[in-house]
Amino acid sequence: MGQVERNMKLKLFTIILAAMVIFAAALFIGPKFINPFNVNGIEKEILISIRLPRVIVSVLMGMALGASGAVLQGILRNPLADPYILGISSGAALTAVVGIIGGSAFLGIVTIPLLAFIGALITGIFVGAMGWKKGGFWPERLLLAGVGLGFLFSAMLMLIMSISSDEGLRRATLWIFGDLSIADWSVIPYGLVFIAVGFIISISRAKALNALILGDELSHSLGFSPRRERFILFISVGLMTAASVALGGMIGFIGLLIPHVGRFLIGSDSRVLIPVSALGGGMLLCIADLIGKSVLSPMELPAGIVTAIIGAPYFLYLLRRKDVLSI
Amino acid sequence: MSSVSEHETGKNSLSSKNTILEFRQAGFSYEKSSPFINDMSLSVGNGEFIGLLGANGSGKSTILKLASGILKASKGSIDLWGSPVRTYKNKDRAKLLSYLPQILDMNVPFTVRELVSMGIYPYEVLPRLTVDEAVEMVGLADKTESLISNLSGGERRRVYIAMTLLQGAGLLLLDEPLANLDIKYQIELLRLLKELREHRGITVVMALHDINIALQFEKIILVREGRILSSGNPGAVLTKELLKKAFDVELEIKRHDSGEAYINYENSF
Repeated sequence: MGQVERNMKLKLFTIILAAMVIFAAALFIGPKFINPFNVNGIEKEILISIRLPRVIVSVLMGMALGASGAVLQGILRNPLADPYILGISSGAALTAVVGIIGGSAFLGIVTIPLLAFIGALITGIFVGAMGWKKGGFWPERLLLAGVGLGFLFSAMLMLIMSISSDEGLRRATLWIFGDLSIADWSVIPYGLVFIAVGFIISISRAKALNALILGDELSHSLGFSPRRERFILFISVGLMTAASVALGGMIGFIGLLIPHVGRFLIGSDSRVLIPVSALGGGMLLCIADLIGKSVLSPMELPAGIVTAIIGAPYFLYLLRRKDVLSI
Repeated sequence: MSSVSEHETGKNSLSSKNTILEFRQAGFSYEKSSPFINDMSLSVGNGEFIGLLGANGSGKSTILKLASGILKASKGSIDLWGSPVRTYKNKDRAKLLSYLPQILDMNVPFTVRELVSMGIYPYEVLPRLTVDEAVEMVGLADKTESLISNLSGGERRRVYIAMTLLQGAGLLLLDEPLANLDIKYQIELLRLLKELREHRGITVVMALHDINIALQFEKIILVREGRILSSGNPGAVLTKELLKKAFDVELEIKRHDSGEAYINYENSF
């Protein structure tokens, strides 16, 4: 037993260390390399007003998406679940954009994550209802409902873009592709609060999530109310996904890919898997953004395109797997 | 909401001192038009080892789900330690009873250790039993770090039993735990459960459809179409007439000179 625990601690330490290194590297590497030990005035300005917000946004979004994926795959008992694939991200983006263009920014900047949260919840509940039949979620129904809604919402976003002359238009365009260059200091505090609350909820319900993975009847036997726990955990996904969309738009496949890597590395206990998926998501998005900024420099690829190029083949691989229902 | 300690002091009315589970005229229907469980009364005493016998669709699983509080009776009452089972807090109930469904998903991503350790979830303090001890008791010590998906059906069943051991509930409600198990594992599992009853005083109610296995029980409840046909020791319950009613076949239980019971198929084929 001691051996197992020691191995786990070593792995966790390595993952945390890797995350710290990557987060720091993302600050100094870019189209222009900045030597952290010799920073001049202009470089300091670049670091603080351009790089830092962008790295914070990448880390926050990636963490939110990685943790959301781990929670969603558990509550839906489906290895293909991800806020992007299930249309939750596009639902969040659409309500946020409609709100901005409709001029309902009456609460200030917090309106954006708030509306995104409402969109995420409505979409999630709708997709869940479509995928629910005879006391359980049907994986193919869930996926088809999510993909279908995702298409519809993306089309509506594009429609709004093409008929609106609003300033919000440029934002909407970038939201579809998940472009971190729109990162803006002012949204970060709200995004941080949403993500922190969602993350704390999901961690505090991690035991219930483990039980839900065994099925509703066993969760009941272990002392949980499956419906209530699923709802609470879904709220946490809604908060994290909405904040992520409000910060930098729709980024796909992080929530899909990262929990699988996490399970491979540290096992499936949600109490460890959720935080590890969060760190993994943060690392992946930082790397994706670095790649996006660097490969065609000075042109920038949106990070969402990079994650899709990495993630979509993995999604196809999962579909081909024999035990496609196994998370 | 009632707490465990209240129930244990027994201030609530118990029809019999040792009754831990009692159905009184309980009814349940999946569809409004057709009641599935009808006017069912039964009681389970502390330390009993009961086989719930009946054909497929006779209502065995539904009875166990009602007893565990997963389903809610539409008529009558179902009491656990003297209080309605559905009034317990989830955590409190989980300390008193464990329910294992018939189908245990093989596609769960956990290792044996991870799954068995979920048995402690209802508790805030560490259990008397450790995960390693529970795994040892079901004979899987060498597979503690294996993934559930790599185990055989019989091993998987035993892992879940180990989880309920850690959960430490006094009442185990097991839905067809012997189905799809090789005869070796059927015997091992029954032996394990009987040992647990001896040493830990647990009570077991187990759904069955195999008459041969039912013969090994001290008490049988024979069910058909959501009603109890008969209950008592196998000799009294497994009569030709009742078996005909329950399973719609001509079977007779006979005894060897040694006293051992067996099914006589002579007129059946």
